[in-house]
Amino acid sequence: MTAVTRPSEPTTRTDRPPLEPIRTPFRMRFLSDDQLERMQAATLEILQRVGVKFPSTMALDVLEAHGVAVDRATQVARFEPDLVLRALASAPRTFTLAAREPAYDIHVGDGATYFTTDGCGTETIDFDTRELRPSCKADVGEMARIADYLPSIGFYWPMVSARDFGVTAPLHELDASWANTVKHVQSETVMGAREAGYALEMATVLAGSREALRARPLFSDVICTIAPLVQDHAGIEAALVLAAAGIPVGFLSMPTLGTTAPATLAGALAMGDAEIISGCVLLQLAFPGTPVFHSLMQAWADPRSGAYVSYSLDSRMRYAPIEQAHHWGLPCLGSAYGTDAPVAGTWAAGVEVASDPFWIGFTGAEIVTGMGLSRTYTLLYPEGLLLDEDAYQRARYAHMAMDVDDETLAVDVVASVGPAGHFLYEPHTRDHMRTSMRRALTHEPAPDGGFRDPVEVARERVAWIRANHHPEPAAAAQQAELARILAAAGRELG
Amino acid sequence: MDTPPLRPIRPAHRLRVLDDGQLADLRAATLTILDEVGVHCPSPEIRARYAAHGARVDAETGIVRLSPDLVLAAMARAPRGYTMGARSAAHDAVLDGTAMYTATDGCGVTMIDPATRRRRPSVAADVGDMARVADALPAVGFYWPMLSAGDHRATAPLHELLASYANTVKHVQTETVMGAPMARWAVEMARVVAGDEATMRARPMLSALICTIAPLAQDAEGMEGAMVLARAGVPVGFMSMATTGSTAPATIAGTLALGDAEIVAALALVQLEVPGAPVFHSLMTGVMDPRSGGYLATSRDGALAYTAGIEIAHHWGVPVLAGVYGTDAPAPGWQSAAEAAVALTVGALLGAETGSGMGLLDGCTVCYPEQLVLDADLHERVRANLAALDTSPEAIALDVIRRVGPRAHFLYEPHTRDGMRRLEFSALTGQVAADGSARDAVDVARAEVDRILATHHPDPLDPAQSRELERIVAAADADLGAATAAAGGRS
Repeated sequence: MTAVTRPSEPTTRTDRPPLEPIRTPFRMRFLSDDQLERMQAATLEILQRVGVKFPSTMALDVLEAHGVAVDRATQVARFEPDLVLRALASAPRTFTLAAREPAYDIHVGDGATYFTTDGCGTETIDFDTRELRPSCKADVGEMARIADYLPSIGFYWPMVSARDFGVTAPLHELDASWANTVKHVQSETVMGAREAGYALEMATVLAGSREALRARPLFSDVICTIAPLVQDHAGIEAALVLAAAGIPVGFLSMPTLGTTAPATLAGALAMGDAEIISGCVLLQLAFPGTPVFHSLMQAWADPRSGAYVSYSLDSRMRYAPIEQAHHWGLPCLGSAYGTDAPVAGTWAAGVEVASDPFWIGFTGAEIVTGMGLSRTYTLLYPEGLLLDEDAYQRARYAHMAMDVDDETLAVDVVASVGPAGHFLYEPHTRDHMRTSMRRALTHEPAPDGGFRDPVEVARERVAWIRANHHPEPAAAAQQAELARILAAAGRELG
Repeated sequence: MDTPPLRPIRPAHRLRVLDDGQLADLRAATLTILDEVGVHCPSPEIRARYAAHGARVDAETGIVRLSPDLVLAAMARAPRGYTMGARSAAHDAVLDGTAMYTATDGCGVTMIDPATRRRRPSVAADVGDMARVADALPAVGFYWPMLSAGDHRATAPLHELLASYANTVKHVQTETVMGAPMARWAVEMARVVAGDEATMRARPMLSALICTIAPLAQDAEGMEGAMVLARAGVPVGFMSMATTGSTAPATIAGTLALGDAEIVAALALVQLEVPGAPVFHSLMTGVMDPRSGGYLATSRDGALAYTAGIEIAHHWGVPVLAGVYGTDAPAPGWQSAAEAAVALTVGALLGAETGSGMGLLDGCTVCYPEQLVLDADLHERVRANLAALDTSPEAIALDVIRRVGPRAHFLYEPHTRDGMRRLEFSALTGQVAADGSARDAVDVARAEVDRILATHHPDPLDPAQSRELERIVAAADADLGAATAAAGGRS
């Protein structure tokens, strides 16, 4: 085991930039009303006629008590359409993902799209030695510091697994995250009722009380379903524990075309939607009005090997589920990034993800994961986060409305310069050039007059942030209490 | 060997980035610039044609000013669509607003030799080799001669056409034919390829792109050549590469208005001279690097600036050639992918009829052959992403889901077998080596170039056509080459 990473006393202070979510006047609809209705009808039919397996007595008890048809022998629950629609009507369209520093709170549903890192990678290219090794808690903290500094990152997913802490890794990932970023933390690994209880205790220490935590939840959780049409025992019980405390919970389905889902996109989306909706209905029946969100990340089976493929030529699954979620009236965690390329900074890594944030921007997804991992969400190249941020910023600027007015049309300036002249001496050029050219990672000047390799520039920026950015730590007493909770969890769970 | 069918992008969705008010403001600015500032026209012959149609010409300064009424009346004559003919009619690019055809980039000067991997000056044979690669890729809708035929000096543009026609059945668009004499030779070549005058007019197998000079200046040879081509029925487009901060105002809107004025001044004259002539509009702005003064094809704002010109062109009612693969990357890699991805997507969403830029790097000067294959992969991604989602009962597959039920798998289902065959995967990414390791996509692309060059030989020209083209080029060598030598150097 490695030592718990806590921020050391900074040698220098840096200002953390304000968040820069995507706010755009442009909206596109990719699915027609008729298509959305057809997809929703399919989901309702799957829930009614096929059902979803809930391998949890706790969950089945809740469902049965609210009139859901439960087959105890098979653990399959079947939902009448009316019940589904009534339950989802209590789900809030807006809520807050609170940060340790309130200025960085995210108000889900405020019209902006906030991105986060990817999460739960298992290996790291070491920051210093550049060697491949298992991921550890320290990596979670280091990347949290980098994410804390980047304005593109609205909230933080622990990027890799704290593999040096065994079964309590998810709790240590939360600890390392809170210690190194003031932004909201969203876990995608807290599973099981007892584990969720410990996570709640930790968050309560930082929030001050359960009531304060309910008002401003400092973390949220993503629970994966199991395709086809199964809820995870530990996942669904964690969801019930967290939702009882007012923690926002999202359900994430990852149907794979050809193996765990039909080999047609619409079929996979309908089936995945049914898994998600079944979880959201359970929570709304148990705790009406509890914040929930919808997330569907569909993939493919490689027909040659059966392997999981996150990027085929067709990336329409990046936008279609967001419209499905909104059609239910639910906020959405959109899916972007997470290249299948084994190495960050390569052509394949660029071509697969570069237009993701641009696409997502059109859909109005409230929150989006996940920047920074390679090899299908499993491998951390620290510079990968900076490269993905560059694509994010390109998309953010592309989504801004263009100014067209007398000042920007500059006809007077054109008349002053006239044909065959130049604009270098014009005061208008001096005033506007500062904002007309947004320098990307790709255009850092090299000493020889060309441009530097953007991958090298990204690595250099990672090193600079690590050396210079040190977010405000939690109070010492809080840190001590978190350590005690982790020790207790280690004894009970480990 | 058969050339595969074209696979243009047929977007199921459309986007508007400028509203009606913004488009009206931009057009008003263009009309004001043309009326009050004017454009510099260095050709007495072209100035005379402007004057004959009612433009105000200052013979002393060479400035031509066009009234809004004159511009609007001229532009109203331009056709909204037409066909860019190919040697094989099945490969025509039909500009009807439903599809976007993408072309290679052009006029590079340095070739990465496919065999030695060394950099060297480009030659005519490279134009032919890359035409063959382009011919084999369904993503390439038409061909720009990718490199300069540096071994043919003054008549290089005609040798580029010769090498192109000999190595692809697709439409060829030149961006180097300049001047009336050379344009006449090019028209002769296009007529030979077309076979007859009716085909030349209905399905012209040549089109041409002429650059303007920012700010607000025309190239004498470019304009004189354009008039020859337009009179012969060859579609002609004008491209402005106004650069924010140096040759254009330091604002995107100002850059667009200025570049639009350059293009429209030329398009208007074509329509006044040859009413109804097929034309296209191409506004590919750049940005000055404030630290060095250098030209940048992309910045973080680039995607919007590049593509807003598409809506301006359509507001004039003419087809567009969009700049969609512009990258400043020096070699294939993350940058060449990241910079190109969004521009192509936006171009297609805005309904661009054509776009160019595949295959060249380092400021459109260097040809890495594999980059064309890599860019074709990007085209296929955008094509797939912009297709409508099938939500038919067959696609939703409720019966299959019901049959499989919770906690099973779909591998045995006939629906899976049928559906998996229709899914599209990249031929470059996710490829596995014999030892089980992942192959680098750039290496896979290089191997694909080698395979195409070794095996793909498009339908050749008819031998009589081939001989006639060679005679035309030889005559042009004697005519234009001698004229250049007499003038004391390369034109």
